[in-house]
Amino acid sequence: MNRHLRRIIASLSPRQKAQIEEERRRAYDFDPRDPLFGLSTDELSGPQLSRRSFLRLVAASGGTLSMSHLLGAAGIVLPHAARAAAQSGGHLICGWAGTAEITTLDPAVINAVLQFQVASNVLSGLTHINADLVAEGDLATDWTVSEDGLVWTFNLRQGVTWHNGDAFSAADVVYTYNRSKNPENSIHYGNLINVLDVVALDDLTVQLTLARPQASLLVKTLERSSGRAMTIVNGNAIESLGLQEYGLKPIGTGPFRVTEHQLGQGVVLERFDDYYDPARPVVDKVTIIPIPENEPLAAAIETGDIHLIGGNAVAAELIDRFLANPDLVVDEIPGNGFQSVFINPWREPMKVDDFNPSVDELKQQNGFKVRLALAKAFDRERFIQRALFGRGVPGFGTINPAMGFYFDTAINETSEQRFDVEAAQALLADAGFPNGEGFPTLKLLTTPAGRRAAEVMVDIYRNNLNINLELDVKDFTVLIEDAFRMEYDLMALGSGGDFDPDDGLVDWMQTSSRFNGPNRNDDDLVAQYGERPFGSFSDAHVDDLIDQQAVTADPEARKVLVQEANQITSDKVASIFTHHLTEILVHRAEVTYPAESRIVGLRDLDRASIG
Amino acid sequence: MRYFVARVIQALIVVWAVGTLVFFMLRAVPGDPIQALLADVDPSAADAIRAKLGLDQPVFVQYLFWMRNTLAGDLGQSLYGSHQAVSQQIAEAIPRTVSLALVAFLFSFSLGLTAGIVSAVKKDSFLDYGFNLAAFLGISMPSFWIGIVLIIVFAVNLRMFPAIGYKPMSAGLDQWLRYLILPGLAVGLPFSASIARLTRSAMLEVLGQDYITLARSKGLNERRVIFRHALRNALIPVVTVMGISLALLFSGSVVVENVFAIKGLGRVLIQSILNRDYPVVQGSILLVAVLLVFMNLAVDMLYRLIDPRISYD
Repeated sequence: MNRHLRRIIASLSPRQKAQIEEERRRAYDFDPRDPLFGLSTDELSGPQLSRRSFLRLVAASGGTLSMSHLLGAAGIVLPHAARAAAQSGGHLICGWAGTAEITTLDPAVINAVLQFQVASNVLSGLTHINADLVAEGDLATDWTVSEDGLVWTFNLRQGVTWHNGDAFSAADVVYTYNRSKNPENSIHYGNLINVLDVVALDDLTVQLTLARPQASLLVKTLERSSGRAMTIVNGNAIESLGLQEYGLKPIGTGPFRVTEHQLGQGVVLERFDDYYDPARPVVDKVTIIPIPENEPLAAAIETGDIHLIGGNAVAAELIDRFLANPDLVVDEIPGNGFQSVFINPWREPMKVDDFNPSVDELKQQNGFKVRLALAKAFDRERFIQRALFGRGVPGFGTINPAMGFYFDTAINETSEQRFDVEAAQALLADAGFPNGEGFPTLKLLTTPAGRRAAEVMVDIYRNNLNINLELDVKDFTVLIEDAFRMEYDLMALGSGGDFDPDDGLVDWMQTSSRFNGPNRNDDDLVAQYGERPFGSFSDAHVDDLIDQQAVTADPEARKVLVQEANQITSDKVASIFTHHLTEILVHRAEVTYPAESRIVGLRDLDRASIG
Repeated sequence: MRYFVARVIQALIVVWAVGTLVFFMLRAVPGDPIQALLADVDPSAADAIRAKLGLDQPVFVQYLFWMRNTLAGDLGQSLYGSHQAVSQQIAEAIPRTVSLALVAFLFSFSLGLTAGIVSAVKKDSFLDYGFNLAAFLGISMPSFWIGIVLIIVFAVNLRMFPAIGYKPMSAGLDQWLRYLILPGLAVGLPFSASIARLTRSAMLEVLGQDYITLARSKGLNERRVIFRHALRNALIPVVTVMGISLALLFSGSVVVENVFAIKGLGRVLIQSILNRDYPVVQGSILLVAVLLVFMNLAVDMLYRLIDPRISYD
């Protein structure tokens, strides 16, 4: 939450607070079995949703129903100061941080946020999320939904042209679907598993048939940037240009067209004059330069060689310097994902081969005592100050502040992992290592980029538990192999993730999670360790809770399940949850970056202006 | 001529050996490119992608395919992103690397040679001590640090040059040079320090020879003694180092390229190694091997021009 929003919330009257609570209650007040989430088909149809429908869909889809959504109930409209009359024209130069190149812009193979940050300016979807994380029509003007919530009919925008002059039609949507649902073509085919079919009813109408109702259809599956599976592509262009060229200079219907792309040297976007919204884009040209090193990035924005930073997260050590510079604007909001240190439960002295017993029962085991000692001795505040220069939030689970509604603000008080160095020392002594004596030197696996943070961790453990950790720094390509094979003692790893609880819970915390040591039982490892029934963590009750929350449409009920699963994974030390990152946008003062473009994770430049 | 032909054959064998070694070493080191590519996606899709890229074949079969394609001039495609052709990646990087190498070489050559000659001629003077100190500093300071200092001084504070980036010569000679001055200095300064030290010691050795004393006793002016008689004889070791330096410069300076956000050969190579992007690593190293081997050959040939007494027959 930004400072401005905090100030507004602090100034709310009791009556306004009551109105907000009432609106929140109404948003969640529906029958979870209802495929339309308590709304009529008219209310669900586009292009514009009523405020009630909008809040209901955010709630039902697991999106962030935050204070900024709800302030309207109190008659408060957030000031979009940056919406002031934008000056058109100009050349915006952006530095993409922490990357040597923008490898591809083909949505089918995009696998990094820094890539779809660019693609979102070039390509379109049927919908696009706005700053409130709600879907608006992009290439779709409006839509209707059947009573059973399974058939969605979209009317497409008329007169849209591709950057190569082709006319956009429903056939392009069908082509994209057929391309993306094939795993050989798209790494995002999984996002379309619930979509049974897409057919063109006529040139400007498409119909989607779903296997089951899905509240997140508009905000995830059909979304132009983060979804990627249904980012609409041009079949003729793919065939005529070939995949290589299309990957570098895709033909889209977005506000900018790619006129130049040299890997590692940059991407040049130019205003697409035939964009469907004549008011956008505001600038004539955008140049995006990948800048891998921190200091040159800082120098470039300080000198005005670049005007705005996108790409990977800006290094925390630069933020105070940027804040002190009156030529720069720094905007900080909660980021998504979680960061943690995984503890291998198959290695001594932190071995726990069954997490199903209760926490109290687990506390009788020496392996668990060591795990809990490590978690409790981790001084998160100190770590955030020293490793991240204060740019982060202590973490106690996979559910993060960006998830708003699902985030448990009390978990820092209730988690067994809460910082208590005396208790940690006592646990370690109980486990047979008084004052750390006799404790083996464990290896902490990390990437070169994570070295600095890992060194702070090593120092914290030396001070708090009198134990030594040795850094084991490996390239990500090697680290991920070790992670999947459970070949580590301790491993610093986290997830950038998106905004849904599934990201942390389904992907990481279930026995069958894809990051839960999927290659732990490779032949050579079975010979060494025997069959291992799980990787880093497994709890049958947690598995069940996560399964339930994934199909529970009622947000209040889902929240209970999510928070219970999150609490158990925290208490049973599925990993040492360390922190959540914040997302920081930096640009020069002469750049106007409207609040409506401030979508977490994205850099939509069509409304940005310079001068 | 026979010597030259033999050396070319030797060079080709070395290049083949390097390529083969790199091919097998890459597959021996840990790190699976496909697993990394799919880290945030479904790992079960990995096998299909491996098959599509031919990485499911036995290593020796992959090697035979690679040899056949390489001999046909096809270095393959990147495993990542848009799967750009390796030859295209290299072709795009070469003008940047050559530009940077030329500017850096000009700096290192002019500064190093001048400082080395002056130091030797004015031995034990303040100038000599000054150049020696500068050379020590130049050798000791890593080029990325020099680069960052140059950015802070000349880009951030004095606003004389851009902090990052590269402009091709087609954008104008002035723009091309403006963007290359700082990275060229960052790369060139450490090389110039080495050349200065080497030139100084070679010159001092030659200046102590009897024929120099004889030349001076015959009344030749000092400039003629130094440039005609001393320098030419002192140049043999310097040219060797300069040749190798030039080859190294042409193979890219990854650190400085990173600092100044210039995607030259060094960055192509390092990025591909980090990604385990086999085809790009193999193609880049093959090119570097060719450069080093043939640059050495060229230097050997140059010896004869400098010193006609050297004969290879």
